[in-house]
Amino acid sequence: MDSNTAAFFRVEGTLTSRSTVMAAGWLAANSQELTHRFTRLGAVALSAPFAFAGDPTLATRMAWLGLRGMSEDRLIVLGEEYWATYLKDALLPVGLDLLQRAKRDGRRIVLISDNLHEVVAPLAEQVNADHVFCNRMELRNNVATGRLREPVISRIGGSRLRDFADERGLDLHASCGYGASSSDSMMLSAVGMPCAVHPDRGLRRIARDLDWPVVEA
Amino acid sequence: MDSLSGRHLLVTGVTGFLGKVWLAMVLDKLPGIARISVIVRPRNRRDSALERFEKIIDTSPVFRPLREKHGAGLANYLGQRLEVLSGDVEKRWCGLDTETVERLTRSVDVMIHCAGITDFQPDPIRALGVNVIGGNHAADIAVRCQAKLVHISTCFVAGNVSGEVAETVTPGVAPNGRRFSVSAEIRALQMACRSGEAAKKVKTRVEIGKQRALDLGFPNIYTYTKGLAEHALAARQDLDLVIVRPSIVECARNYPMPGWNEGANTAGPLAWLITSSFRRLPTNGHHAFDIIPVDDVARGMTLVVAAALDDRAEPIYQLASSSCNPLPLGRTVELTGLAMRRWTRKGGGDTWQKMVLKQLDPVPVAQDDQGFFAAPKMGGWMGTLRRKLTDFDRAEHLPPAVDELIGDAVERAVTDLKEKVTHQHHQFRRIEHMLELYRPFIHDNDYRFRTDNIGALAIGVRGDWAYEVSGIDWRHYWVDIEYPGLRKWCMPLLEGEKIEMDPPSSPPFRLHSDFVERAASK
Repeated sequence: MDSNTAAFFRVEGTLTSRSTVMAAGWLAANSQELTHRFTRLGAVALSAPFAFAGDPTLATRMAWLGLRGMSEDRLIVLGEEYWATYLKDALLPVGLDLLQRAKRDGRRIVLISDNLHEVVAPLAEQVNADHVFCNRMELRNNVATGRLREPVISRIGGSRLRDFADERGLDLHASCGYGASSSDSMMLSAVGMPCAVHPDRGLRRIARDLDWPVVEA
Repeated sequence: MDSLSGRHLLVTGVTGFLGKVWLAMVLDKLPGIARISVIVRPRNRRDSALERFEKIIDTSPVFRPLREKHGAGLANYLGQRLEVLSGDVEKRWCGLDTETVERLTRSVDVMIHCAGITDFQPDPIRALGVNVIGGNHAADIAVRCQAKLVHISTCFVAGNVSGEVAETVTPGVAPNGRRFSVSAEIRALQMACRSGEAAKKVKTRVEIGKQRALDLGFPNIYTYTKGLAEHALAARQDLDLVIVRPSIVECARNYPMPGWNEGANTAGPLAWLITSSFRRLPTNGHHAFDIIPVDDVARGMTLVVAAALDDRAEPIYQLASSSCNPLPLGRTVELTGLAMRRWTRKGGGDTWQKMVLKQLDPVPVAQDDQGFFAAPKMGGWMGTLRRKLTDFDRAEHLPPAVDELIGDAVERAVTDLKEKVTHQHHQFRRIEHMLELYRPFIHDNDYRFRTDNIGALAIGVRGDWAYEVSGIDWRHYWVDIEYPGLRKWCMPLLEGEKIEMDPPSSPPFRLHSDFVERAASK
């Protein structure tokens, strides 16, 4: 696609109602060995305090750290299963409508997610997204080290989005962005046409203050 | 593949798993071959060789692409190329009459000997007859025809070894380094199997065969007899020989269809085993599980036959994956569990498999660390429980008052339970037997079969005959092709069910052939 305008969709909250930590927990709970299921779930649970303490990057790192030792095969096959079993049915019609409209307007579709690539990839294929900006697990000999490859996606700041847009020749001022949580506000501030989709209380307030359109589910 | 155009091929073993796929592919993709004469054994008195072969063409899914391509014209198409000869490799000249042999000598360019018994522990007398003596009979015809012999063997003639296995054979030197004479070995085995108790009992003969195999360093009777055949043929000075050694031949990647398999091969029982209630496979997860899809073997075979016809073939070709694209056993076990998850998600399996087994992934465990769930231990407990239930006597074990009140119900429950426990006991004994059978390939030995010769032959080959084992994506293959294929074509057999063949055509399929000699085939 030649268009230099894009539509940035934060997957969680805009396209699907399921949060990232649910995916991490589900993957951990489906480890090969029973003992690993408990230890990995424990690691995922430990990420919660960091999320509440307002450090989403650390929380994201902690959540995915639990998958250390999981094989690439398992991540990919379970990622597809998670999509087919849970995500597919949790797609939000309002988000899909906005996505179709953006496509009709000739915009490139960019999905932004703090989920793992293995989980987001089937969704990207389903909606025929042009780019996926999500977390990738570091692998050594086809086994997850538990570390996320840089850049770690959690709260997306304006500079990171600008870098992403520059690399792909996208005009951010002519692009639109869709988010649902207050943590998406910086991403939305960086685009010319921000929009809050069924926002949480924080984003609703920001949208009201900055006069951003709000779309309800 | 121009080398095969206008040639006359003589083939044995076309009713087997590999032979059928190879024949169907060649007939489908190489219409320029002048003639393929196939030696087929009549199944019984009712079914002649020709009728048996016609039934296979008519109903085997292997020939589905050919049937779909040619429709009603298939009989004519095949008739112009195929000749069915009634024979038996165990007999001199493979059971062909002198007139037929004489006729073949005038035109055969290459003989491909696929026939063989592939059971791991068959009756050694029969295995000798088919695998060793049958090989010699095929060689006699090839020599008489002044044609090359392409002999299909197995990589596992390497015996109980670990590490790199070269594409060589030293006649008279066993895998464990012992020197032996093939003819003396055949005589000794025949004598041992035909005397005393062994003459009457197959089980005793199998034990004798196993012991002789182990004495030379072969893991089982199959590899032992295939090894003897290679040594016997390689020692013949009058023979122009090319040996093709596939490793474990598994479900097709593409041809005749993704997942096609036939019979209970190696991976089938293993996959069945670790997706049954038994979830701890004693194996070394780092060892390579050397498998190769059947259509890749067929492609490799065809390249070798073409090279043999061009006088540029090497003496031995190993068709294997362990050196160019190794699949570790641990990964195989995990992929099997993942494949089962996907299979149940897509509607396969019963409630127990969907609700419970899907959640419990199979794991590889060390042979000496099987713990609580070790098959012999579980089998032993089931045996003890069965004995206790058999000994149950309501008069003795129940107080009179209880007996009067619920004695009948208790007796019925005990009978039901005994039936279930007996079934489980047999299952665990079966599992134990299977684990013993497969132990050399999944635990003891770590084979790395060199495949340089086929690698060199495949350079630059594109399209239908591209041999690309090094490029197989094992995850996709195992989860999307192999496991569903085994579920469809192999596991029903292990569960005592029948495999559904394609419906026969009406009127029944008959080969229209200039070559067909119906009278002779009887």
